Amino acid sequence: MNKTLSAADVQASDVRPLPVLEETLRYLLSLLDSTEHSFEAVHDFIFDRTRSIRQDLSMQNLANERVIHLYEEISHLCVYSVDFIILTLKWVLIQVKFHVIARQRLQSCSTTSISSMHHLNMEQLAKTLTTLYDIYDANRKPDYIYQNEAEFRSLYVLLHLNPSSGVMGEPMALWFRKLTSVLIKSKEMCFVRNLLRLYRMGNYKNFISALASEATYLQYCTSEPHIREMRSLAVQCINNVCYKLQPYPLLRLSQNLMMKEVDVESLCHECGLETCTDSDGCIVLPTKQPNLRRPEEGFKGYDLIGFEMKRLL
Amino acid sequence: MAYVSMGEAHRRITEYLNRFCDSVSYQDSSTLCRLLSFSSNSASLLSLADALNVFQDASSLIRQSDKFTEYEEILTHLFRSLQSYRVGNLVEAYLAFEKFANAFVQEFRNWESAWALEALYVVCYEVRVLAEMADKELTSNGKSPEKLKAAGSLLMKVFGVLAGKSPKRVGALYVTCQLFKTYFKLGTVNLCRSVIRSIETARIFDFEEFPTRDKVTYMYYTGRLEVFNENFPAADTKLSYALQYCNPKKERNIRMILKYLIPVKLSIGILPTNELLRNHKLHEYINVVQALRKGDLRLLRHALDEHEDRWLVVDCSCVDSSAIRFLRSGVYLVLEKLELQVYQRLMKKIYINQKLSDPARAHQLKLEVIAKALRWLGMDMDLDEVECIMTILIHKNLAKGYLAHKSKVVVLSKQDPFPKLNGKPVGS
Repeated sequence: MNKTLSAADVQASDVRPLPVLEETLRYLLSLLDSTEHSFEAVHDFIFDRTRSIRQDLSMQNLANERVIHLYEEISHLCVYSVDFIILTLKWVLIQVKFHVIARQRLQSCSTTSISSMHHLNMEQLAKTLTTLYDIYDANRKPDYIYQNEAEFRSLYVLLHLNPSSGVMGEPMALWFRKLTSVLIKSKEMCFVRNLLRLYRMGNYKNFISALASEATYLQYCTSEPHIREMRSLAVQCINNVCYKLQPYPLLRLSQNLMMKEVDVESLCHECGLETCTDSDGCIVLPTKQPNLRRPEEGFKGYDLIGFEMKRLL
Repeated sequence: MAYVSMGEAHRRITEYLNRFCDSVSYQDSSTLCRLLSFSSNSASLLSLADALNVFQDASSLIRQSDKFTEYEEILTHLFRSLQSYRVGNLVEAYLAFEKFANAFVQEFRNWESAWALEALYVVCYEVRVLAEMADKELTSNGKSPEKLKAAGSLLMKVFGVLAGKSPKRVGALYVTCQLFKTYFKLGTVNLCRSVIRSIETARIFDFEEFPTRDKVTYMYYTGRLEVFNENFPAADTKLSYALQYCNPKKERNIRMILKYLIPVKLSIGILPTNELLRNHKLHEYINVVQALRKGDLRLLRHALDEHEDRWLVVDCSCVDSSAIRFLRSGVYLVLEKLELQVYQRLMKKIYINQKLSDPARAHQLKLEVIAKALRWLGMDMDLDEVECIMTILIHKNLAKGYLAHKSKVVVLSKQDPFPKLNGKPVGS
């Protein structure tokens, strides 16, 4: 797999025309299904290639329907990659737990390399979305939105639910100001605005259930870190607020957070809290424990139970 | 365009030239202002424009006298701009005015005292306004609008000229406000940061020295920025300042300040009277305030939702929902955040009611009772949802006590179960 050319090396004659770029992207998408190379190698290669596609596009200053489609596809790639990364990490952690992993695999798939992959992906997603929005705006016909525009716009909201995450920088209030009425009223935007409201309120139960019932696959992938946040918040709240003499049953919590009970237990431990078994044999969380801590920044996304992912293809 | 004879045209142009040069010589700022204020569409400027379009070769008139040639460059561009403006070529008008402005600022630099500051203000204002008109023309012709952005750069240059030790520095705040208006219109609000930093940290500026009018405008815009960033204590300070020092006769300005100050005050628990809202025609907030007073969640949702409120259409030509209107002004997210305060109010009402009927057990709020109250408001929630919300309320210190989930009851603390916000926003 060849190295990318740096921007300085690329000359006008090297810039590929649109049909070539489209073909390149089609080829890259086909690689996702390949089992020949490790995911990391595939990821790095695809990352480099999509970045160079974006460079070629921006140098030619192209902005039309076909280009929009290209950018949308690249955004898809980024989000799919997130999913692959999370799956890969889960797989790695399970392996570690049961001591079956080959040392080489472990070395080449360390948490730090996955963490940086994830970060790069989020950055590329953010940049691609920004460019995509500029093109949407530049080609704006009154009262018209492109076929997938509402969903791709909704991803911005989901990336920015937490203002301190600092992904793109502009305050949400300003971003909403610029949207057209048609966009604001779209089903996807109403959905994420509702999620935003629930998130900011801290309403962990309804946030998770709303997400599970309505999110598209892309929206779900982009929201995964926030599901984790809301679940941690739930554990935190329950520990702080609930009656000391009535330890909280994990089964109940697992239903509200749409998690497996064993995952809830794991999350409690991540938060520095101890669980125990009561006289009926149920696992409970004793409350008002003083050792509550923020769980480590990580991608240990526990499964969302009862969620059927609607793939957008 | 009226018919003008060549003789009359000659007369008008020469009269203007004399007026212009005299106002500079005698440092007569107010006359100069009137001579430059295109967008005011004054009769004298329009008639001059007509004369220019008839005469066509105004440059020859300028070169006729030594008195005029000193300002040849300035006047040539100015005339060209006015001519284009008159016939509706707004892009041309802007481009020429931009050249005029550049030349004028060069002259201004050389004038020792700050006598022409008011005239400079007019130039800045016209630059911005003409750029907006030019962009409208570009958009309607299917081209991308870029003149307002250029105007921003020009205004920054002017700012740079005023940022010095001379008495002219007093004008920097006016230019700052023009920049704010430009950036807000363009949506490039992040650019405000650098000029704010200059005003607030540069040692040459003393905020108190600036004219009150400019200070009010400055605090209005920086207050709005704080609202966008949801820094409520800072927003409160700045917008309150603007309100306090705003000219009480400027009703429109007061209304604009209140439009942003009210949501900020609401987030820290301070409610305006209905009278205030009505007097300043801020009807859009009446339902929100009522919802907070009564703990009426349904009313809050209704005030922020998608339904179109025809009776609220005061100055817009299209009918938009309240949600869209609030989103456009940038206060929607602030108002939405009030939901928890409305829940708090509702809980307090239930508590007060229980105190009247059974004081010994008033501090125990059964989840079932809360769910019933919510159902009565048209909001159907199961006990898990109610429990979740109560947990959050307590966690964010809007209620004090604990939740006994097995007994399905919230036990409020006997003392101060519903702490006031005391000027701090929720959850801080």
